[in-house]
Amino acid sequence: MVFSLSKESQAELQLFQNEIAAANPSDLLQFSANYFNQRLEQQRAFLKAREPEFRAKNIVLFPETDESLSRPQSAQSQSRSRSSVMFKSPFVNEDPHSNVFKNGFDMDPHEQDAHQLSQDEQPHGGEKGSTPPLPMHFNAQRRTSVSGETLQPNNFDDWTPDHYKEKSEQQLERLEKSIGNNFLFNKLDSDSKRLVINCLEEKSVRNGSTIIKQGDQGDYFYVVEQGTVDFYVNDNKVNSSGPGSSFGELALMYNSPRAATVVATSDCLLWALDRLTFRKILLGSSFKKRLMYDDLLKTMPVLKSLTTYDRAKLADALDTKIYQPGETIIREGDQGENFYLIEYGAVDVSKEGQGVINKLKDHDYFGEVALLNDLPRQATVTATKRTKVATLGKSGFQRLLGPAVDVLKLNDPTRH
Amino acid sequence: MDFVAGQPQPVGHLIQQQQQQQNVNTHGQDFPQPHHDLQQRQQHHQQLLPSQLPQKSLVSKGKYTLHDFQIMRTLGTGSFGRVHLVRSVHNGRYYAIKVLKKQQIVKMKQVEHTNDERRMLKLVEHPFLIRMWGTFQDARNIFMVMDYIEGGELFSLLRKSQRFPNPVAKFYAAEVILALEYLHGHNIIYRDLKPENILLDRNGHIKITDFGFAKEVQTVTWTLCGTPDYIAPEVITTKPYNKSVDWWSLGVLIYEMLAGYTPFYDTTPMKTYEKILQGKVIYPPYFHPDVVNLLSKLITADLTRRIGNLQSGSRDIKAHPWFSEVVWERLLAKDIETPYEPPITSGIGDTSLFDQYPEEQLDYGIQGDDPYAEYFHDF
Repeated sequence: MVFSLSKESQAELQLFQNEIAAANPSDLLQFSANYFNQRLEQQRAFLKAREPEFRAKNIVLFPETDESLSRPQSAQSQSRSRSSVMFKSPFVNEDPHSNVFKNGFDMDPHEQDAHQLSQDEQPHGGEKGSTPPLPMHFNAQRRTSVSGETLQPNNFDDWTPDHYKEKSEQQLERLEKSIGNNFLFNKLDSDSKRLVINCLEEKSVRNGSTIIKQGDQGDYFYVVEQGTVDFYVNDNKVNSSGPGSSFGELALMYNSPRAATVVATSDCLLWALDRLTFRKILLGSSFKKRLMYDDLLKTMPVLKSLTTYDRAKLADALDTKIYQPGETIIREGDQGENFYLIEYGAVDVSKEGQGVINKLKDHDYFGEVALLNDLPRQATVTATKRTKVATLGKSGFQRLLGPAVDVLKLNDPTRH
Repeated sequence: MDFVAGQPQPVGHLIQQQQQQQNVNTHGQDFPQPHHDLQQRQQHHQQLLPSQLPQKSLVSKGKYTLHDFQIMRTLGTGSFGRVHLVRSVHNGRYYAIKVLKKQQIVKMKQVEHTNDERRMLKLVEHPFLIRMWGTFQDARNIFMVMDYIEGGELFSLLRKSQRFPNPVAKFYAAEVILALEYLHGHNIIYRDLKPENILLDRNGHIKITDFGFAKEVQTVTWTLCGTPDYIAPEVITTKPYNKSVDWWSLGVLIYEMLAGYTPFYDTTPMKTYEKILQGKVIYPPYFHPDVVNLLSKLITADLTRRIGNLQSGSRDIKAHPWFSEVVWERLLAKDIETPYEPPITSGIGDTSLFDQYPEEQLDYGIQGDDPYAEYFHDF
């Protein structure tokens, strides 16, 4: 039997065929299901954006659905959800074995909503108790676990990055701007950020060459210095960008297949950074900071009696804050509850009528008395340089370990 | 179980307990029968060992071989291998064997995690955790023999029903909490909680499986691992972390069970991570106020507010209003009717609740040159 297909259908099938040829999937049906879901999503998203335009012309775009039915779910789960699951209620006030629950639920009115949707709702929607469909872009497929390399940050001391090369001030500034918005970099302290940037490796790429390929293992992150690049997903161009842009950042977290292909559309100069270098810098700095916190907490007389485990819990929970020169961190006479560790910077400690009575700097601490009593602050502390502190309040301490007064007393080895 | 909530116990205690258990079990019907001579050697071995054996893992190393099992269909696949339904040629019972390709493990730099997985599985014993019977290897693969849990993945049930009613989500969450509490009590963090890793047994109770990222941690650890939708913010920002990450994931799990989707999902992992760091969670209006309260305390970046991580540990979670009707002791004893009994015939290798996976040519049982032998001594 021969079917005559419309041009559109033929084109769609041709696309699909190319896709199969390229991917050579081992599980054809799964692959096809994923592929068409993706196509559908693309097309729907495209049309959706233009819906008002069409509506104005009195054209109905989605005739076979109404709002409540345009469910984004994969065909598979949609067909499956038709066969509804009947749950029994595991928790009730009465005997859970009473047969009330065999024929469904017996729930309080509050749970009625939840009950109804499990029965796989009302095909026409809009009725009381129906809930919105699952969101469009949620991936309902099985999710793969990911994992970075296990690194031991305590043995990085004799490690030096392979591609360390000092960049000029100009380059530094430009590169910092390029990567500054990315969460992977904007949490770095300035030393680490500088180190990361100095570890960027220069790479020249010819016009037309593929920089990364969709599906390949990813180990590098790239910043475009000169030139332009195009991005392709499943051979469809999805984006292009130029100098100052960056791509491939997921590779800095763990090894996972590239989500897109990137092709140079002119001769390019790129900066590349590999995951191992990046993670070692990040972990090294995080580890040093952690050691510093731990050391500082250990040296604070009020906390001296804590166990290693409790101290680790406090260190995990420290919050960091940055103060600019002239900013007051705590003020004499205020009611205070936080203590502070100075990661870097400098502060003046002053008292009304006495002026500056002390100067503190990196790895000093202050305000710890607040953990033990509710007296007002005994002095004012003001930043004289840009100062980063790690801090925790009495209430946070109490939530983690119990009332500070009790915990610290309890653990005090000099007490009975 | 004489395990007390929230009290850390030395793992040694657990080992001993299991040791005794196993001495009894070796003769029991529930055990896949190992080779006769091996079994004898095993018993002999056990008698000679002092009771405070440092690692129970020594006991079952190489206890079985491929000849003890008939390999059947694939129940699941992963990055390094697959899980098969198998049948013991000795007792006719069904088991699941997880097969991991050595080359793939080494290539993906997961040697340490794999060895940890084996060690943790051998240490744990809990009604809601998968049980491992033993391991063995050939030149190319490592094999882990585990119970076959017939009811399929919680994941499949969730997608099929789209969302769970409040009490159903509560039931599964409560069983998960008991499992996590047990693990944490032995200083083991799990690190990969998600519906895909929770199986349902024939009666509808949970079994947490896949200990690929489980690790014994005294203070803190650093490795970035998990599943993007479920990873805690402190892991993403490369901070040292501990048990707190499992409680975050529990929050995401409860959210997903009730909503049908996760709170931070997006089109790419990077976007998901950004959302996790922003930490904004939108609770659907149909969530019960109690669960919104609970979730806001689990899915919080502030470790001084994350319930489970605080002074009273998991007891805070168990005492939360959302769980007020849960009788924890009865739950642990499996004395509470499950919300859903998987429609399967038990004991006959019924796999109707597992999705189909393409089978491939198996290379199991090859002996000889093993370039990766040094990495997998324990198997």
